[in-house]
Amino acid sequence: MSTISTALRNFKEPTKEQLTQIFFSLPTVPSDLSENASEQPEKMEINAVLSLGDGEEDSYAGKLHIMPPYLAFTSLDRKSVRFTIPLSTIRRVERLNARAGIYALSLLTWHGMKIIVQLTSLRPTADLFCSMLRDSLKVELQKGHMKLVKSFVKTCYSEELVSSSSNVADNEREDGSLISEEKENPVPRESTYHGGLGLKFKFPGDPKKLRESSKIKLWTTYLRTHGRNLTLMRYPQCTRLVQVGLPNRLRGEMWETLSGSIYLRFSNPGYYERLLKEHDGKTSISTEDIEKDLHRSLPEYAGYQSEDGIGALRRVLQAYSFKNPELGYCQAMNILAAAILIYMSEEQAFWLLEVLCDRLLPGYYAPSMHGTLLDQRVFESLVQRCLPIIHDHFQAVDVQLSVASLPWFLSLFINSMPMVFAFRIVDCFFCMGPKVLFQVGLAILKINGEALLQIQDDGGFLNLMRDYFANLGESAHPQSADPRARAITRFQELLLVSFREFSVITDETILSERKRFRSEIIHSIESFSKRAAVRNLKTLGRFTKEQAGLIYDALYKAMCIVPPPPTVAPPPTLLTTRDSGEEKPETRIGLRTFQYFLSEVATWARDEKIVMNGFQQRVDREVAEHEFIDRLFFFWDIACRGALSFQDLVSGLDGVMFNDLMENIEWFFNLHDKNKDGYLTKDEVLTLSESFLFIFRYEVGDAYLGAVSRFMTNAFEYGDALLPQPESKPGEERELLSPPPVASNQPYLNLATFRMVVLADEILESFFETDLSASFKLQPLPEMELPISSGGLLGDIWSTIATDSNKKMFNMFTDEIGKTIGKHQVVHKPSIGRYTKLEEPKARESLLTPAMRKSPSRTSLVSVSESTVAPTVSAASTSTLNVTIPTAESNKALPVVPDSAALSALPMIQAANAALMERTPFAIDDAKDDADDDDFFADDDDNDDDQVMDEVDAFLEAHDSGLTDADKKVANDLLHAEPVK
Amino acid sequence: MADAASGSTDKSVQVKLVLLGEAAVGKSSVVLRFVSNEFQPNKEPTIGAAFLTQKCRLEDRVLRYEIWDTAGQERFHSLAPMYYRNAQAAVVVYDVTKASSLEKAKSWVKELQRQANPNIVIALAGNKVDLVQSSGASSAGPASPESEDEADDATATPGETPGSSGTEPDSLRQVPKEEAQAYATEAGLLFFETSAKTGEGIVDIFTEIAKKIPLEHILAASRGASGRSGVGRASGTQQEAVNLQEDANKPKDACNC
Repeated sequence: MSTISTALRNFKEPTKEQLTQIFFSLPTVPSDLSENASEQPEKMEINAVLSLGDGEEDSYAGKLHIMPPYLAFTSLDRKSVRFTIPLSTIRRVERLNARAGIYALSLLTWHGMKIIVQLTSLRPTADLFCSMLRDSLKVELQKGHMKLVKSFVKTCYSEELVSSSSNVADNEREDGSLISEEKENPVPRESTYHGGLGLKFKFPGDPKKLRESSKIKLWTTYLRTHGRNLTLMRYPQCTRLVQVGLPNRLRGEMWETLSGSIYLRFSNPGYYERLLKEHDGKTSISTEDIEKDLHRSLPEYAGYQSEDGIGALRRVLQAYSFKNPELGYCQAMNILAAAILIYMSEEQAFWLLEVLCDRLLPGYYAPSMHGTLLDQRVFESLVQRCLPIIHDHFQAVDVQLSVASLPWFLSLFINSMPMVFAFRIVDCFFCMGPKVLFQVGLAILKINGEALLQIQDDGGFLNLMRDYFANLGESAHPQSADPRARAITRFQELLLVSFREFSVITDETILSERKRFRSEIIHSIESFSKRAAVRNLKTLGRFTKEQAGLIYDALYKAMCIVPPPPTVAPPPTLLTTRDSGEEKPETRIGLRTFQYFLSEVATWARDEKIVMNGFQQRVDREVAEHEFIDRLFFFWDIACRGALSFQDLVSGLDGVMFNDLMENIEWFFNLHDKNKDGYLTKDEVLTLSESFLFIFRYEVGDAYLGAVSRFMTNAFEYGDALLPQPESKPGEERELLSPPPVASNQPYLNLATFRMVVLADEILESFFETDLSASFKLQPLPEMELPISSGGLLGDIWSTIATDSNKKMFNMFTDEIGKTIGKHQVVHKPSIGRYTKLEEPKARESLLTPAMRKSPSRTSLVSVSESTVAPTVSAASTSTLNVTIPTAESNKALPVVPDSAALSALPMIQAANAALMERTPFAIDDAKDDADDDDFFADDDDNDDDQVMDEVDAFLEAHDSGLTDADKKVANDLLHAEPVK
Repeated sequence: MADAASGSTDKSVQVKLVLLGEAAVGKSSVVLRFVSNEFQPNKEPTIGAAFLTQKCRLEDRVLRYEIWDTAGQERFHSLAPMYYRNAQAAVVVYDVTKASSLEKAKSWVKELQRQANPNIVIALAGNKVDLVQSSGASSAGPASPESEDEADDATATPGETPGSSGTEPDSLRQVPKEEAQAYATEAGLLFFETSAKTGEGIVDIFTEIAKKIPLEHILAASRGASGRSGVGRASGTQQEAVNLQEDANKPKDACNC
């Protein structure tokens, strides 16, 4: 009872463009949400120097991107300054009149902030950029997005702060509650901004200790001059303010602004409400799981002791599970959702959850939790690199890092440390990205290094961590004589160590480490689920676990090629009376996937062509399609579900692979006895013969054709002979037209007769004795390659060269040449391959007594059977038989032309077989791997350099604007430049 | 706890025990009942695994249980090996009112028997037995509405339990005791029906596991050899900490009969 998922194999490394989008926190998936997914707007980037209208900030050189409907900028160091603003917030664009050769634009936002960008690329590029900007702005205007801005920003608390800063900031009580305002102003201004449960149930922590009011003041000042919500410009001051902790009332909005979820909320108005409405009353496994956890999510917070909080939490989690049913709900999401709902409205929380699951914590909460496992592996490797002594000690005493660190990552420290501290880490996380988790994790280990070297087991590790987190509020240096040093809390120390000493951990580090370990993780998940699937089989039949594992491999490969329909969980019933076994969804494959599966395990279920063209010898394998395979599919579908589970396949194979002669004959008989009445009808006898012909279609020589032909002759002869009232004189012409004594769909041939007919033929006997069972082969499959992860430029080039289609083209090309030089040869690989020579075994003497025989000689017997068969065949409207039987006959008479080719090719076939087993790697593959490795190490070196540089300037707070003094002067001049007339 | 970080200096014997089972069968509640003899309505959810310790006196020995309480949701399954590796004991919990939870328990047992420490002592615990006891027989009246709410919040699946107040309690039972008992015997497990809410059977699990842990046999053997003198006993206790570690590495068939 298990689900098998191939989803992990679909992972693709993000493209450069996607990485840019991720960097700017833009919604990565346009998909169903965006209005026009089909038309991809053009994108462009240009070198530019950014200055802010009031001249308060330095100018910064960087790149300006237009990615409609967004405009984005980042300074050259990619961390000092950046912004992402929707084009619809821009109200006016002017070309500035400045010195010759300077191309500058002034952008005015809806609230009057002036952004000046000097385009420093070549003139034509700048012109192109301008026209693109103009066009994109026009599109936004036409769509009416400009009008939406005003109403949207009303939902943002920052606007409230900025517009009435004197009121709010001064009158606000320390605890950040609204009460003061309401009391002092009898008619409170209409507050439409979104906020979280904290507004009603108070925010965690002591506002005085948190210095809420001074933080609010600082932010108000910053937001007034640097834009806010949709138009926030992130200068170094912004990051610093985030690092000291966001003020509670602004926190929710800043989270969505910094994480970019605000763009989702902005561009999908009403989506959340609609989603809930559409799915009202619907239940699923996810909603059931959610219910279980609602009361277990931050239960000590007052808001979650009331229906207000529980209801909001339920709606947000359910909405997300509806939006992303594949992910659904994972424990730990309840903690995140509960935490962010303290600071945000439901709608805000919904979109933030989306960004969390999709971009910031990719794959963390997926059913396989591969993202979690991957990042744990990455974290371990970073510990090994940055804190080797601790890593070695952990190895020595066999302590697993993840026992402690897994929940840190999975719930963003929220249930590991006191909430006030965890939220400050979350602040930094949204501002600076996922690397923060790694930095903080490393800092925790580093600070506790001494004590960690004393621990002996997992339990000791956890206890140490628990004690450390419980005392984060204590002084880090209680013994120090310096009161300022004494005042530094352990938490402050933690953040300092995180961002100072581990600033070497960058986004690129994380990305490249993830890339390094991804396939390892995927393989371990896959082998884990394989083990689980094999273990969970109800019965292995006569297979060993290893053999079942091979069946699983074949199934898995087939599923990768033809993914089955998504596993559907059975709808929950009203009562829990359902059979326990049915409760869990189980992966089942359809016919198409089954064909691929069978082609892996059964030699006759694939068409293998050995192609020789003078240049190469290869085996082209195709999946065979035949009614026989379909028949097998339904034969094995015992539960009549129209789909097969892993168990069905194992049981099905068990039913044929261990059979002896008699069992095989019976098995084959039953397979064709559709109504299971113990008799084959005449139609079924024909179908059965067709099955024979299908299985034998590539056998060398005509022995098998002859055998099948004799089989049919005998079957009908004996069948007729054993009928209660046998027909008389079937040899005469006239009899042909008379209807057969038994209708073609009536019981005709029973197992005993069938057995007798089969045993009358040496070839068929040996087929049933050994060949049939042996045609099912469980072989270890070559390790499947993971999707190519492009490693830099070289990797890109190789991956484009070494695609499947290119291989195909290469093959076609060599085939053509081979044909022109007359060396092209295609040989079908036989499925059974018993006869490698054209020897023809003799048919055995008939078992019928002479008295029972209708015809005395064998030759006439054949002709009789042919005449008997012919009408039935045409009635069944099968063309194969009509064609093949005469062929078989004629083959007997004539030396066979095509077969001689096959014969001469035999040694080559064997060689080809050997090659197939080894699966000769393409030279290209090898080269690519090497290139990848090289690339990685090269990256590494670069990183090291960067890391050193980063370390130097990270906390010096000297943010290099990347401009010379002269450049700065130009930029400053622009602040006062007049628009071009 | 002074000895928290360094278990090896402790005189008591450390036993690593892992709790496994389907979501919401009451694993955490079983642990909480055992460790602090409480029943907490709103417990923090288990992410990955929770870690608790509890000392347990058995005759003249002190066992220190290191309990790993794992998350029950299906997708956390792949993390479980991290927690059950090197475990000397496991408690696999199911919910007597939910038949599917026994199936899941069986699959856990299978997994443990194949993947975990070969000496692992496994106990099967059918929890929430208070929900199926008739109110007269039960000492702790399960039908009182207040405690029922608690059960809801902490362990039971909402939507399943509400039926309990009106109907006859026994109809809630989906797993007959005999069936589970038979399975446990066949698979060589200790078996208990428990209630984390009333405390029924909880301590018994841990006591019986303590008795069945292989070092008991070693201790018994050493005791037999050295007679019943006080000195012998002391040395036996000394030895057992050492023996435990050896035992974890060496396959011993002493207990898995």
